[in-house]
Amino acid sequence: MKPHRTTLLMLPAFAMLGCIFLAPLAWFFVHTLLIDSDPSDLRDQLVAVLASRAMLRAIVTTNWISLLVTVTVLLLGYPIAYYLANRRGFRFTLVVFCVIVPYFTSIIVRTYSWMVLLGREGLINQALRDLHLISDPLPLLYNQFSIVIGMTYVLLPYMVLTLFAAMKGIDRNLLLAARGMGASGPMIFRRVYLPLSRHGVISGALIVFILSIGFFITPALMGGPSDVMVAMLIERSVEITLDWPGAAVMSLFLLSVTLLLYAVYYRVTDVRRLMGTV
Amino acid sequence: MNGAPLPDGKGALDLDGLTKRYGEERVVDAVSLGIRAGEFFSLLGPSGSGKTTTLMMIAGFVAPDGGAIRVDGADLTRVPPQRRGLGMVFQNYAIFPHLNVFENVAFPLRARRVTEAELRPRVQAALALVRLERFAERFARQLSGGQQQRVAIARAIVFHPPIVLMDEPLGALDKNLRYDMQVEIKDIQRRLGMTVIYVTHDQEEAVNMSDRLAIMNHGRIEQVGPPGDVYQRPHNAFVARFLGEANLIAGTIDRVHAGEAALRTEDGTLLRGSIDGPLEAGRAAALFVRPEQLALGDGGGENRMHGTVARRSFLGSTVRTQVDSGRGVHLLIDMINAGAMRMPEPGSAVTVSWSPACSRILIG
Amino acid sequence: MGTVMSTRRGLLRGAVPAALAAPMLWTRRAAAAQQLMVRTPGGAFDEVKKRTVYAPFQEMTGIEIVPVPSTAAKLLAMFKAGQVDIDVIDTGDDSLLDLEHAGALEAIPYKDFKYTNPDDIDPSVRMEHQVGSFVYAFVNGFNTTVYPVGKEPKTWAEFWDIKAFPGPRTLADMASGAPNLEIALIADGVPMDKVYPIDIERAFRSLSRIRPAVPKFWDTGALSAQMLSNREAVLAVIWNTRVQVAAAGGAPVAPQWNQNQVLAQAYGITKGTPKLDAGVRFIDYSLSPAVQARWLGAYKAIPVNQQAYAHTAPELMDPQTNLPWTRSKGFRNDIRWWSANRAKVGAHWNRWVLQ
Repeated sequence: MKPHRTTLLMLPAFAMLGCIFLAPLAWFFVHTLLIDSDPSDLRDQLVAVLASRAMLRAIVTTNWISLLVTVTVLLLGYPIAYYLANRRGFRFTLVVFCVIVPYFTSIIVRTYSWMVLLGREGLINQALRDLHLISDPLPLLYNQFSIVIGMTYVLLPYMVLTLFAAMKGIDRNLLLAARGMGASGPMIFRRVYLPLSRHGVISGALIVFILSIGFFITPALMGGPSDVMVAMLIERSVEITLDWPGAAVMSLFLLSVTLLLYAVYYRVTDVRRLMGTV
Repeated sequence: MNGAPLPDGKGALDLDGLTKRYGEERVVDAVSLGIRAGEFFSLLGPSGSGKTTTLMMIAGFVAPDGGAIRVDGADLTRVPPQRRGLGMVFQNYAIFPHLNVFENVAFPLRARRVTEAELRPRVQAALALVRLERFAERFARQLSGGQQQRVAIARAIVFHPPIVLMDEPLGALDKNLRYDMQVEIKDIQRRLGMTVIYVTHDQEEAVNMSDRLAIMNHGRIEQVGPPGDVYQRPHNAFVARFLGEANLIAGTIDRVHAGEAALRTEDGTLLRGSIDGPLEAGRAAALFVRPEQLALGDGGGENRMHGTVARRSFLGSTVRTQVDSGRGVHLLIDMINAGAMRMPEPGSAVTVSWSPACSRILIG
Repeated sequence: MGTVMSTRRGLLRGAVPAALAAPMLWTRRAAAAQQLMVRTPGGAFDEVKKRTVYAPFQEMTGIEIVPVPSTAAKLLAMFKAGQVDIDVIDTGDDSLLDLEHAGALEAIPYKDFKYTNPDDIDPSVRMEHQVGSFVYAFVNGFNTTVYPVGKEPKTWAEFWDIKAFPGPRTLADMASGAPNLEIALIADGVPMDKVYPIDIERAFRSLSRIRPAVPKFWDTGALSAQMLSNREAVLAVIWNTRVQVAAAGGAPVAPQWNQNQVLAQAYGITKGTPKLDAGVRFIDYSLSPAVQARWLGAYKAIPVNQQAYAHTAPELMDPQTNLPWTRSKGFRNDIRWWSANRAKVGAHWNRWVLQ
């Protein structure tokens, strides 16, 4: 198909995206930063918000938690994706089911179920106490540990599916060839399988990180008082203190970082390869 | 054999009753072969004949259900592929896309923990052998099909395996390139003196390159021998038809005498041809003769048939004439295209003749 | 060819007037049905109110109440964009004050009330641009498996006493709307009637003292009730409504009403709504004594119409004074102070939680 025709087919999607997403976003930024407040104060506003202790701490927390989540999701997701890429039939369906089904459950429900498990009087602490392994409950909830667990659970499917797609694209003949040439299992993994799934690892890590830095519900519900992420600051400014220019500055910042990461993602994830044209 | 064997004469392969079943079907059925060190040996057959499965069992990627594989007398049947020490060239090359040409070729050496100092000259020598010295830094996607093929070959030979397995290595190349590569592969094999087991469905390729070949069909070996022998003296109609064009004229054995038999065709013509074993008169059989052994006119030999020229086609260096001789017998006659030669027009009545020495009486 | 053309024209002849007429039809039908768009908190709130208020109101007047979910911020954004399609706003009195300051509310025409005598309405919630619909309070909620009734902290000072009353607590997060600065001051010794204007520094210092016992500040009412029910917290500064709902559901929780902070749910009318009359009628109706008794008897909240006190759920009434607990033991939340200082408190909170 000619390129301009495919573009034409995308037109309704672009139009919809423009109307329901881009236009309101532009309206919000223009209104809050240029109309409601004095544009000449914009620089001061930017500095005041971005350099505030709360924002700086939130940026550090956001990056740190996103990094922890990305690493955890990768370490958990890689073996699962590997298993899926090498299985068929019932076991494949079962694991896919387990990975995908939570994806269709409300994120709030999923987060609450973790709270039931991890709480002071939750199942895990109760079981440990019944086994006399601990006397006082372990602090499993309302800290970064629980945030990472909750977010990992939510984001795992993105990583697994991205890695699975990459692993399915690996030519099995290459692995046979490596074996035929005398390579041991670990060497095949390190020198052939891992490098060939690398673009999946990078894409998966980027997509998980991008989603992580905008996370709101899970850290708000499962985090402790000081675990404040940027998205939570924005929500608070919009809904509670009604400081919309401040929220706009923070949103603009978060949006820029996200778009920047997407640009990297776009470059790393050879789109043509995803389309299967290479 | 044509290839000079390795100095230590290594690379002999024995297959002993090798069998592979998928469910009820025996895809490889009690295949026994003795391949000599330094031999270029082809497994030839139509798709589904079991040739690739046989090769995969030799490589160790497919576990046999029965039989044994021995290299230089050592039983490899249960040895995992990475410890068999065989070179392998895959059908679609299996070049690692994330490694450059040099690293691809170096891979088997790294797997064997060859030191860096030793590795470099060996890789360069292998690349020189396939004339790719200048492409060491390139990646597979920057190479043509023929160049990728050469990388695969360099990678298969760099660690001096006594045996190299090749699975339809030229299948993806176009015809001209394929001929050049045949020459090149054969040349490398001769220089290094290694044993090559070559799987193909292209009979021309097999005939051109092989010291010996095995024709496979339905998981069994139909015939083994040097290409010329198999071509001239096929054991049965399948082999006769599979390896080149063949005329097969049906009839019954009329009489047998001293390694020779006479066949009576349905219109009563008697044709003579050689036989391999004892045959009794009255059995249904077919007379086999290659098209290039037939001549138009009486001068070709004592076997004669009459008919009408049905059509004529030019195949470049040869001209193929089809003569219909009643009762469904169609004879193909190939003659050298010698320019000014006069050919009978379609529709004209002709006599076709050939020598009984070039004819064989086949059963089945 | 000719047939096709005439068929097409025929189609067009029919289609154009129909298309033009459609919006008019739609408008007329909507007008005939008399729908009133009301912002509500949704959920269980609406379920009770549908049964006890909306349905009888529609039966009587033909006006259908259509609940619409929205946050205060969204209402403000709609107002700024000039696109408010909501007629009546049923929300916290503090949010309504923000909207009033933005000029988004009509004055409440008390003189037009027919079902309710404006003088019966609790004066603390009867304001020019908004009128309370019921009141509730921040109370000390406690888990009765840990502190049996009678053994719980009786004052905020006791609540703050981590040694005498051990166990994790939960208090309101800034994200819930406002942190419990008033209660922190009372715990620190400030009398109930001297809380405002809040000494922000002192309040946060007081909060710092209890913070080691707070694993989590709650941002939604649901979270506070859940934490108290499953002993994530054994003591909570919590809305009394949440304690009652949890207790009714069998959770071992109870409220201590002493020194409660009185909050109000209230109505406002959107500036310029074409359905002003219907809106006023609805507010008037839902504040009348009989409706307040029926509705809040079921919802277990305290009426604003003092004529309805007699029908209030007994657990909301102080037996000694025969007044609602909010009148006998409470102090009124000052929404004006909060409206003026919320951003400042927000910034302070953001710094404080990081300590």
